[in-house]
Amino acid sequence: MKGLLQIHDPLKPRGHAVGIDLGTTNSLVAAVVQGKPRCLPADEGEGVLLPSVVHYGQDGGVVVGARAVALIPEAPTDTLKSVKRFMGKSLSDAETRKLGSYKFTPGTGVVRFEVAGGHPVTPVEVSGEILRALKRRAESHFAGKVEQAVITVPAYFDDAQRQATKDAGRLAGLEVLRLLNEPTAAALAYGLDKGSQGLFAVYDLGGGTFDVSILKLTDGIFEVKSTGGDSALGGDDFDRTIAQHVLDERQIVNPSPDQIARLLQAARAAKERLTDHGEVKLDFGGRSTTITRAQFDLWVTPLLQRTGVACRRALKDAGVKAAELDGVVLVGGSTRVPSVRAFVAEVFGRQPLADIDPDQVVALGAAVQADLLTNADRQDEVLLLDVIPLSLGLETMGGVVEKVISRNSAIPIAAAQVFTTFQDGQTAMDIHVVQGERELVEDCRSLARFRLTDIPALPAGMGRVEVRFAIDADGILSVSAKEQSTGVAQQITVKPTHGLTDDEIEQMLLDSIDHAEDDMQKRLLREQQLEAQRMLLDAHKQLQQNGDLLSAAERADFEAGIKGLTELAAQTTDHLALKAALGELDERSKPFVERIMNRAISSAVAGHSVEDYR
Amino acid sequence: MTHFELFGLQPHVDVDVSALEAKHRALSMQLHPDRLPPSADGATRRRAVEQTTNLNEALKVLKDPTRRALYLLGLHGVDLEHRQMPLPFLEEIMERRERLDAARARKALAEVTAMAREVEALRDRALAAAQAALRTLPQGLEMASAELAAVKYYQRFLEEVEAIEEESHP
Repeated sequence: MKGLLQIHDPLKPRGHAVGIDLGTTNSLVAAVVQGKPRCLPADEGEGVLLPSVVHYGQDGGVVVGARAVALIPEAPTDTLKSVKRFMGKSLSDAETRKLGSYKFTPGTGVVRFEVAGGHPVTPVEVSGEILRALKRRAESHFAGKVEQAVITVPAYFDDAQRQATKDAGRLAGLEVLRLLNEPTAAALAYGLDKGSQGLFAVYDLGGGTFDVSILKLTDGIFEVKSTGGDSALGGDDFDRTIAQHVLDERQIVNPSPDQIARLLQAARAAKERLTDHGEVKLDFGGRSTTITRAQFDLWVTPLLQRTGVACRRALKDAGVKAAELDGVVLVGGSTRVPSVRAFVAEVFGRQPLADIDPDQVVALGAAVQADLLTNADRQDEVLLLDVIPLSLGLETMGGVVEKVISRNSAIPIAAAQVFTTFQDGQTAMDIHVVQGERELVEDCRSLARFRLTDIPALPAGMGRVEVRFAIDADGILSVSAKEQSTGVAQQITVKPTHGLTDDEIEQMLLDSIDHAEDDMQKRLLREQQLEAQRMLLDAHKQLQQNGDLLSAAERADFEAGIKGLTELAAQTTDHLALKAALGELDERSKPFVERIMNRAISSAVAGHSVEDYR
Repeated sequence: MTHFELFGLQPHVDVDVSALEAKHRALSMQLHPDRLPPSADGATRRRAVEQTTNLNEALKVLKDPTRRALYLLGLHGVDLEHRQMPLPFLEEIMERRERLDAARARKALAEVTAMAREVEALRDRALAAAQAALRTLPQGLEMASAELAAVKYYQRFLEEVEAIEEESHP
């Protein structure tokens, strides 16, 4: 109860601000403690990594982390892993067709998973559960509330994926101080640690995403010069490559979700063992398959080459040659794979650094940024300057994209574009915003469509509306507009193409609060029911053994009390009413209990022989 | 306030980019919202965001020679949007674009790259001519406008090449 009261105490100062790495495979929470960032361990002794796995039970209960991982084999479709891959995506996205044990809800709009215990869940809600678990971990660590967080995202995340991450933070009851790009976070952890200056490349290959950033470090300023990547490429794809080869070899054409889940787990374990062994055995379906390091290296070569293309482009965009770099930093669990390290060394022509644990470095950097943004006492001159990873454009005639803000522009940034009416008396205009580098709208990612309305009716070409697109420090877009002849600001409702509307988020938030209260009510009721059971059992036993101590009237009164409590315990959902009834029966039993105690003592004394008191 | 003024510079076609970037870092340290104390109020924060946004936009324009030249032209009241180009120039551009489309359809990447090199050379020459003219303002205004209008066409062509390269390895 103490914890609850603390949470609701408005006089308490704002709690600690934390850094959260919301990863595809694992998530971590870190904070600056006594001037040093450190990852917070789970109190159940799980270490600092929280597996990004969420299990939905038949009873509506939610289990997060290692305990959920253990439930994958028995409930593969109710236990969701790697949901980060689906953030800001719809069912039509290629990501949903990769090998996996998910049960998607058919329909348009955002991806939804069918799980046990009620309504389908979105990736935002699942991520919200992971964030909530990390928030609880931090709160129990500090024995106080934690309400503010810097959450990291892949640098190459687009607007919809960023928005989805921010929404997940909101659902978990966190004020998201900043969405920080993962390679930038890693650079912050490294740079501060080493007091570095110069040009650095960060190669970040995680479970489901790949980023590369080129940064310049000068006198405490961490300036991202360019960034590139692939938000659908990571260690999961390595696992799938292994799994697919096993399926092909055994000629399994239509694996069940259960088979897929088991095989992917076995593939991941095999991949991890291949880091230290030249050859491993993968056990699946009662058979064993031998996989050599050389085979595995060959399978992942096409994936590595995709990262190479992004690396070379990032160097080109930064206007930097590989030889000019002062260092290359490895981030993400997948950089433990030996062929990844060799590939990075080849692309950049130097041995990469990996002295900070590649699993923890992003969370540590996020903690530093959280501290920089909230700690008034911090005196160090440190500032992060980041860029927008993908160009922002508008659909023009013929489905061609016109770029408004080019990729790798420093953020926050804004650009204005004037639109003219093309029909006499036109009072509205439709605008379609996309993100990406391709020429045609259909090849880019649709971000939002909106309608400019209330344009004064004028001859064609005379109505002029200036639309301003602003990208904030989180890399998220907002739009405002002004009609030029009247100077009237336009009302714009941006309909996210792949996101949840504010109303939907609001509803989820309300639901989750309701649920939390529901859960609490249920738990309290269950406690009182158990207490009632215990007391009734005791009462029956005493009546049987010591019923002769009561007069007929007393006995009838007591039995009536028992009957009343039995009925109430079976019916009521009100834990307070049950608690009151328990108290009442307890009161009624007091004289009886007194007599029982007396009898017990006298019988105890009587039972002893005289010798015992000598 | 012009982009030049923001950086404490005289409007000029030549800018020392590394000095510009150093100034951008120094100004960011002063203006960036993340440098504000946690207690700063909403209005202060909004102003910091606005100033940083302007600073970043100014950097984007001034550090790129083409954008910088176009901006300088704009400061002299020239809008290239509706400028008429000589017919031979337009015909040449049309012909290059047709060849580019054909190469794209054949997925002949080497050919695309070779065409890009050619156009890059043309762009660089036109840009150099425009810059030379801009150093003699106000006399060079018309000359600079003509050359920069051509640069815009070449630039658009090169953007298309980039999109083609993008689709070849998405």
